[in-house]
Amino acid sequence: MRFSIRYRTEYQYDAPVADNLNSLRALPATTPAQRCEESGVRVDPEARLIQHNDYFGTRVVEFGVSRPHDRLTIDVRAKVETSETPEPPDPSWEALATDAYRRAAAEYLLPSDDEPLNGALDGLRADARGDGPLATLLRVSELIPDRFEYRPGVTYVGSTVQDLLDAGAGVCQDFAHLALILLRRNGIAARYVSGYLFAAPPDDSEDSIEVNTHAWLEGLLAAPGDGAPVWVGIDPTNRGRAGTQHVKIGHGRRYADVPPIKGVYRGSASAELEASVRMTRLDSGNGAAP
Amino acid sequence: MATEYTAAPYAPADGFYDELFDASGGARPHAETLVSRLERLGAGELAAAGRRRDAIFMQQGITFDLTGAAEAADGELRDRPFPLDLVPRILPADEWTVIKRGLAQRIRALNRFVDDVYHAREIVEAGVVPWEMIVSRSHFARPAYGIRPPGDVYCHVAGCDLVRDADGRWKVLEDNVRTPSGISYVLENRLAMTRLVPGLFAGYHVRPVDNYPALLLSALRAVAPGGDDEPTVVVWSPGPANSAYFEHAFLARTMGVELVEASDLVVRDEVCYMRTTSGLARVHTIYRRLDDDFIDPLEFRSDSLLGVPGLMRAYRAGTLALANAVGTGVADDKAIYHWVPEMIRFYLGEEPILDNVETYLLSDPERLAYVLERLDRLVVKPTGESGGKGVFIGPRATDAEIAAQAELIRADPRRWIAQELVHLSTVPTLDSSGALAPRHVDLRPFAVFGEDISIVPGGLTRVALRPGSMIVNSSQGGGSKDTWILDEEVVPDGRPLPPRRATVPPPLPDLRQSSWTGQQEQQQQERSGG
Amino acid sequence: MLARIAHELFWLGRQLGRAEHTARMLDGIYAIDLQAPPDAPVGAQLTWEGLLAVMGATDESERTEAPDRDEVMRLLAVDANNPSSVLACVEAGREGARVVRDVISAEMWEAVNTLRLGLYQHHLSGGFGTGPYEFLQYVKERCALFWGLAERTMLEDEARAFLHAGGRIEAAQMVVRMLRVALAPFGDEVADEVERPARDGQALALLHAVGGLHAFRRAVTDPPNAEPVAGFLLYERAYPDSVAASVDALHTALVAADARSRTAAPVLRLARLSADLEFRRRASRSAGDLLAVLGDVQDELALVDHDISDRYFAGGTQASRVMTA
Repeated sequence: MRFSIRYRTEYQYDAPVADNLNSLRALPATTPAQRCEESGVRVDPEARLIQHNDYFGTRVVEFGVSRPHDRLTIDVRAKVETSETPEPPDPSWEALATDAYRRAAAEYLLPSDDEPLNGALDGLRADARGDGPLATLLRVSELIPDRFEYRPGVTYVGSTVQDLLDAGAGVCQDFAHLALILLRRNGIAARYVSGYLFAAPPDDSEDSIEVNTHAWLEGLLAAPGDGAPVWVGIDPTNRGRAGTQHVKIGHGRRYADVPPIKGVYRGSASAELEASVRMTRLDSGNGAAP
Repeated sequence: MATEYTAAPYAPADGFYDELFDASGGARPHAETLVSRLERLGAGELAAAGRRRDAIFMQQGITFDLTGAAEAADGELRDRPFPLDLVPRILPADEWTVIKRGLAQRIRALNRFVDDVYHAREIVEAGVVPWEMIVSRSHFARPAYGIRPPGDVYCHVAGCDLVRDADGRWKVLEDNVRTPSGISYVLENRLAMTRLVPGLFAGYHVRPVDNYPALLLSALRAVAPGGDDEPTVVVWSPGPANSAYFEHAFLARTMGVELVEASDLVVRDEVCYMRTTSGLARVHTIYRRLDDDFIDPLEFRSDSLLGVPGLMRAYRAGTLALANAVGTGVADDKAIYHWVPEMIRFYLGEEPILDNVETYLLSDPERLAYVLERLDRLVVKPTGESGGKGVFIGPRATDAEIAAQAELIRADPRRWIAQELVHLSTVPTLDSSGALAPRHVDLRPFAVFGEDISIVPGGLTRVALRPGSMIVNSSQGGGSKDTWILDEEVVPDGRPLPPRRATVPPPLPDLRQSSWTGQQEQQQQERSGG
Repeated sequence: MLARIAHELFWLGRQLGRAEHTARMLDGIYAIDLQAPPDAPVGAQLTWEGLLAVMGATDESERTEAPDRDEVMRLLAVDANNPSSVLACVEAGREGARVVRDVISAEMWEAVNTLRLGLYQHHLSGGFGTGPYEFLQYVKERCALFWGLAERTMLEDEARAFLHAGGRIEAAQMVVRMLRVALAPFGDEVADEVERPARDGQALALLHAVGGLHAFRRAVTDPPNAEPVAGFLLYERAYPDSVAASVDALHTALVAADARSRTAAPVLRLARLSADLEFRRRASRSAGDLLAVLGDVQDELALVDHDISDRYFAGGTQASRVMTA
């Protein structure tokens, strides 16, 4: 599928702020399954944009507005084409014990500091375990929406998995975080993915929709023979594997490694945030490409 | 003939190496003069010097504050004079030469390792250090990935902790390549010794330490990004509440550079500036005295108020040098320590000059079981900490403590290492009565890596002031000693003078009071009339 | 004011200025001398011979062996028979202060008097046995107290001007002599690899000795080697103990004291010297050039000294008699 994406964020401050520095992780990645055809960022008030790729390979755009201002808009535009991924391998549990797998898994197997205390997840972890790693991946993507309600407003951007357990509800970020733990505790390396999801109604009636930034995850599966292990995307918010509606920005161990916007400014003013993501299909039968 | 300290015969502790006396209680050759001088001064004179020392240290504010239960009972925090023991520790020149070479070798390897970890990962590819071991270190700094600092120097300032075992052999106990502290005490201790007990120096050729600030400054200038001809260097301190603030101020003062806090620094685009009374001034090199986690809230901990947002942008762009470089913490992790001898062989193709203490990594289940069985005889340390935090000493622990420690280790074995107990050497130290008694010591020499590696002669000797204790940290009853590295040639008394040259002393104005001699008076003789 | 009083104030300033500078020098060099020579060129060294030369306290040509640390210390700190010793200067200063007790404030008098008493106590109680630090520290502190009290409590009049004039001319002459001794052994020719570190070491010792290391570090980015240090101590007006700053202060003091300063010989000479220093500051700073400047400055200061006593003290310094402390 081909999409044009427009991700617009506006901060309105109740008093002027200065030295407003931001890091933006919002540009689509180019991977075997997707190609970012063009992308651009505009900032108002105007600022010099600096770009680099971080440790995880995510494109980061940085800028700073030093002079006082009471409004900041960030406008990201991109065109991207996604394609079907090949069928994932279906390795045995034993295949996860090889050196090659462990090296590729690296930090994606490690527990993080803010995980729920021992025991709290033992039941879920056991329930998530399938016959093999691939089955476990798919099972996790079903298990979480079965057990937890998708409800915005219950958790916030800094919530932990424990908060999700307590509330019994959360959003895609929380679901992804829980899935990561369940997979890692089953010995499967897993990484958090940030991106956009073209969540169109099933009847294909809309070509241009308002969405939010989305989070899902990828699990690492050993490939048969000497092949390099393969990352396979699953979406525990929407069940099943990630597909061509998923546009990936980047990945990390958790949310904090790939936040769409991270910033600080000087001043004690409080900010009102308005963000919108509009995704438009460029290759639909309706021919609605702008 | 061996000299004995007459005030109270000195008895070296059994099973430990004493650096000034041999096992029979006689002074070692390099200590004979010192022992006889101490004897001449006597307990009373030494105690008086101790009182003067405390007064001077209080006056100069060379203090530390005790934290802990004992202090809480007092109800108020009180500054204590830094406890400097007046008996110096003496190391002969040949011994120091070995230490110096060993340290330089070690620091070179650690520096290569940091570079490798954030770039080519050769040591991982070669199968020497497992990648998962590196990425699991809490100080592995992902934001440092791919950044190459000027001159490929990462560990600008390093301080390795050395100990000597019962056989007198030197071993490295710990590497510190983040922000090792203590150098200010080395310099202040020396100055205090020359003022308090100058008589002890007679007969020794002690190598001076006071060029450290100049060494450090020239190294910090050498790594400054090019462009402007006069690089600006600053020392960045977290602020007066930090326990090492004295040292931060000391270094800024002795180097003649600004001591800044986060609020003084600002990054505009990709350049770091400090706020001055005449506007923003470019900063080229920051000697920072805080951990990676706190330097830039945009890239590390976002809850850190100590940091400078955008600092990593400037660093990445190469307009700013940070000392030490970002990410060095991965090299002084206590689990990585285990591989340092391998690093030396891998990167330098040399055999390590200084040995490690026998260390067990607990990620291996067999090792873990072995260690858990012998916990009562081992030392266990958390991998990511420094300064003696969380260290467990088996032989001194109760059964309950051992059980609790075992529980902690089982919960996350990767966060711990175990080591054989080192029988720290002793040096005679004045006890409260003014008599000499053996106390355990370690040594932290300081190295500066600029264009090359320089090591200040000696270093900080920390001494456990409690009898039998091997905890040398100042927060836990430790003190320090002046460390004397002797020049190659020991002169019996006085120092050789440079060849004389004819100097014509300029005339000195005569300061003697001038007198005021009255003019001879004349008698009034005129008569009227006649 | 009375020429005699002006004269006493001038000499009081000189005596205390000398006591303080000598104390600083001894303190700075003592600590350095206890240790081995440095292995890096930025280390510090200054021999006791050099120190004696600065003070001109002995006839070097008659000496056959190197002076001993303790001997020099005794000679320059507590030898009452050496008129330049710290003790003798303080003693003489206190005698002078007694004469002008009505002119200086009571607190200033007490500061000097206590200084003398304290020194005798230190000296007699054998405080020297464990090193001179406290003795010298006491002198520095008391002198600073005296000058601080002068700022705070003394009327800004002619009397204060002469007191300051004495302190500043002494400071200028001491620093010039120290610099000459530090640079002199190496002469005009370019120092070779062996000599250079030694000379640089002496320069650093000088900075220690005048207490100017910190100021130097803040003001100058060059390493503390001979030329930058000499340039700093000679020309840097922002540093209060530099020769140029002392010359300016001396000039200011005399202008304040002299109703007809525009035609006064010492004032005119100082104005020329000040301008000359500013001019030379921009010229070459090779060791040889600096030495030449130092020689000229020393000669000029001697003439200023002469002019001052001619104009204000009715030439009184020429008729002198020995006063023993």
